[in-house]
Amino acid sequence: MPPIIDKDKCIGCGICAAICTMDVFSHSGKGHSPEVLYPEECWHCRACTMDCPKGAVRLRLPIPYRLLFVDSATLRQGRRV
Amino acid sequence: MIPIQNEMTCDVLCVGGGIAALQASIAAAEEGSDVLLVDKAHPRRSGSGATGCDHFGCYLPEVHGDDINVIVREILGSQTGTCHDPRLTRRFLKESTAMVHRWESWGIPMRPKGFYEFKGHAFPTRPRAFLHYDGRQQKPILYKKAGECGVRFLPYSPVVDFVFNEHGQPVGALALRIDQEDPGFTLIRSRTIVLATGVATRLYSSETSPGMLFNLAYCGSCTGTGISLVWRNGGHTLNMEIPYIHAGPKHFARCGKASFIGVARYPDGSPVGPFVTEPDKDYGDVTLDVSHRILTERLCDGRGPIYVDCHGAPEAWLDEMREALRWEGVAAMLDHMDEEGIDFSRHAIEFMQYEPHVQGRGVEIDENGETSIPNVYAAGDIVGNFRVGVSGAAVYGWICGKSAARKSKDAPSSSSLDQNSLDAACDRCSRIYDRRGSGGATWREANIAVQTLMSSYAPVPPHKARSANLLCAGLKYMKDLRAKLDRELSADNPHELMRALEVYELLDCGEAIMHAALERKESRGNHVRSDYTLTNPLLSNKFLIMTNRKGIVAGTWREKWN
Ligand SMILES: Cc1cc2nc3c(=O)[nH]c(=O)nc-3n(C[C@H](O)[C@H](O)[C@H](O)COP(=O)(O)OP(=O)(O)OC[C@H]3O[C@@H](n4cnc5c(N)ncnc54)[C@H](O)[C@@H]3O)c2cc1C
Repeated sequence: MPPIIDKDKCIGCGICAAICTMDVFSHSGKGHSPEVLYPEECWHCRACTMDCPKGAVRLRLPIPYRLLFVDSATLRQGRRV
Repeated sequence: MIPIQNEMTCDVLCVGGGIAALQASIAAAEEGSDVLLVDKAHPRRSGSGATGCDHFGCYLPEVHGDDINVIVREILGSQTGTCHDPRLTRRFLKESTAMVHRWESWGIPMRPKGFYEFKGHAFPTRPRAFLHYDGRQQKPILYKKAGECGVRFLPYSPVVDFVFNEHGQPVGALALRIDQEDPGFTLIRSRTIVLATGVATRLYSSETSPGMLFNLAYCGSCTGTGISLVWRNGGHTLNMEIPYIHAGPKHFARCGKASFIGVARYPDGSPVGPFVTEPDKDYGDVTLDVSHRILTERLCDGRGPIYVDCHGAPEAWLDEMREALRWEGVAAMLDHMDEEGIDFSRHAIEFMQYEPHVQGRGVEIDENGETSIPNVYAAGDIVGNFRVGVSGAAVYGWICGKSAARKSKDAPSSSSLDQNSLDAACDRCSRIYDRRGSGGATWREANIAVQTLMSSYAPVPPHKARSANLLCAGLKYMKDLRAKLDRELSADNPHELMRALEVYELLDCGEAIMHAALERKESRGNHVRSDYTLTNPLLSNKFLIMTNRKGIVAGTWREKWN
């Protein structure tokens, strides 16, 4: 479940935790990687990913959220997908 | 009892840290007011505009010509134009011109390609009212600007109630601190208050992924605080009974529909609407603005599903569209597509209608942004008689800030507070926290319980209708649920306490919806009644104003302000 912090890249600045509008993280202080306390409350605004100075945060989309899609070519040919 | 740890005073209190609240704070500070902005989260990235928007509804004479009415018509005819007092729409459009220039001077790219480009939410051959801009850094820029103007910030502090003077008038607010181990309150006294707490999400059961509460197109921490406060305190609300139901990609609930340039197609490849047959980079396919409901209808009657198909668009157009989705704050969807190998040039994406949320319904304001409660203003998504998304929040936030600042100069500072109501407010929150560790009911259970009642007893179309039977039963069950939560709801920490209090706001919004839906004895838009199926033309130019004075709910009709 989102977000996921890469501990190797994270410098523990805590920006992700400070700006999260959903209060998903907890941060115990500079130098410590934030903990993802409430992953299921993420609304995927992606602010943590955008503002992380080290590119250490990514979001994993829960399976039920996945996009449903079909081949355009099949659709265009009027064949049922 | 949760302690009051801190007291603050200000001239103008902005409740919220989103687009409208930041704009109000800047405008009031520029007038010389002492401004405090209180946000549930941190204003740098909070709310629905957190990571971007890309369509700024506005009137720019240099593009549109001298007749503002041309754009008034387009805005009122757009998907956000249904619940407007046209007088407010005109005031908004007049002031929107300066706002575009102001935002540009503050560093928000309003013409990222070097010229003003209007596209999206538009009909072929008709004038275009939505300026295409790059909103990714809008929040950090507005936050910085507010700081430069001297605005003080109180982040991580959801407002849970007004505080009142001895005459029962709101003269400030009570905010809960959630950034500490145990909760505490901040008591804020102010001369005027601007409410700007955004949409109410999480009110209806999820259509995208039942059981998961936060697959939401809009900010999931916004649960209608401002509407709840006005409803609880006898102020005017309106249009709560007319549901707004957004639509977008399935199953990832996202905004950004208007950035898609593809054609809405049936599984046999035929276009759903009459507007375009091939991808169009300027207009997209406005079919799914005209009707969101068609997505569910066609799924239910088996003629769907409906796809948005961008195949055939030149690669350069698709790159532009991807960029637009980034500007709009929808990059999480693009990341997912990259990971899964889903590509706009080869794949058509199914679209769906999401569950209703409360946006552009709620608090009545006058032309200056003041609510029916003196000295209390409201702007943005919580307003019930005007809504134009981000630009509406920006411009009316600004108008509220200016009005509130002027009013603050005359409004007396509150000498004595009504201690009884303050104690009651503190007690209401404390009781939930006092049950910590007791194995009591969780906010999540409570939230789902509200959702199931709303979905069953204040249902939305297609294929479902409301009636006096259902709504009366719903109101009874909501009352029972409230009593049960009063006895059993518990929270183990400040975060959970915040979520628990959000559920009470949702209960207020839900009850306001049910009462208004009961009073509107006709069908209109997404308010469909099986016992009153007609849309009554005599009500077309009227709004139903609802008030709740200490539990006595009343509805009155007024003419729209044309
Ligand atoms: C991905 C996305 C793209 C969008 N794109 C567009 C677009 O292109 N064009 C358009 O017109 N609109 C767009 N919108 C809608 C637009 O973002 C909103 O209409 C706008 O942000 C509304 O502003 P607001 O100030 O009313 O609410 P928000 O910006 O949502 O701010 C609400 C604020 O209230 C705070 N808050 C909530 N409860 C409390 C409380 N109890 N106490 C204190 N603070 C509280 C929140 O933390 C937040 O800071 C988009 C929305 C999303 C999600």
